[in-house]
Amino acid sequence: MAKKTMTLNLTDEEMGVLDDLARKKDLSKTGVVRQALRLYQMVDLRLRDGEKLIFEDEKKNKKSEVVVL
Amino acid sequence: MNIEPIQIVRRSDGILVNAQLLSNLKATDLLMVERQWESSRQSLHQRLLGSSIDRRRWPQSLHWDWKSKAQLLGQLAIGGYGIVESSEWQAVCLVDCVSYHSRLAGQLGKPLVYLDFIEIAPWNWNIPELGQNGTYGACGMILFDRVVERSIDEGFRGRVGLHALPQAEAFYQDKCGMTPLGKDASKQDLMYFERF
Repeated sequence: MAKKTMTLNLTDEEMGVLDDLARKKDLSKTGVVRQALRLYQMVDLRLRDGEKLIFEDEKKNKKSEVVVL
Repeated sequence: MNIEPIQIVRRSDGILVNAQLLSNLKATDLLMVERQWESSRQSLHQRLLGSSIDRRRWPQSLHWDWKSKAQLLGQLAIGGYGIVESSEWQAVCLVDCVSYHSRLAGQLGKPLVYLDFIEIAPWNWNIPELGQNGTYGACGMILFDRVVERSIDEGFRGRVGLHALPQAEAFYQDKCGMTPLGKDASKQDLMYFERF
């Protein structure tokens, strides 16, 4: 699939997080951004369909809803 | 949509037949798949109902409906692949590139391509008890190989995961070289497989 190039302006802290995620996930920085975009779109579509995004900690028997803007 | 020439095996004589591997499927493609498969699926269901074959041996995807999966293709995370020969859909699959992560030791938490659904056309199913030999072979393997390629293209180094229907477990373990990582209570107790 054809790809387009863009410049991404990040703070040092944001770039640090991007570097860290790329290392942990064994991905390029482009790969991390691509995954983040896919995930954001998936969450947005499901929230728009009326679903909720919930984190669950089974060990602590705790659930919390994430509100995404 | 991308189209690549491939060959599939005509089981009646073992001849390789030219076909097309389609990538980046759209929702309309899955609607077409279901339109083409629905009557064969229903006819097979009727033949199975009239037979003495134990229900546990019936094809386990008999109730699937690709129409209901069509809306998934509007998401960046979801990809679809299919095989077409003479304008007939012979096999189709859907993958998810963000929702699952590796469970393999040494790869834990790393991204993978999750093979969410894969099915061959009802006329390609082998059901010896009904005297049905599938028309074309190799379709499942070709799609699986394409999913591994997608994982490599994504930078996921070939990591692929899936939950297998019981009838397909041997295929994934023996033919695809995947590792069974236990039954998953969150997925109807289906066996989870992964490859790297």
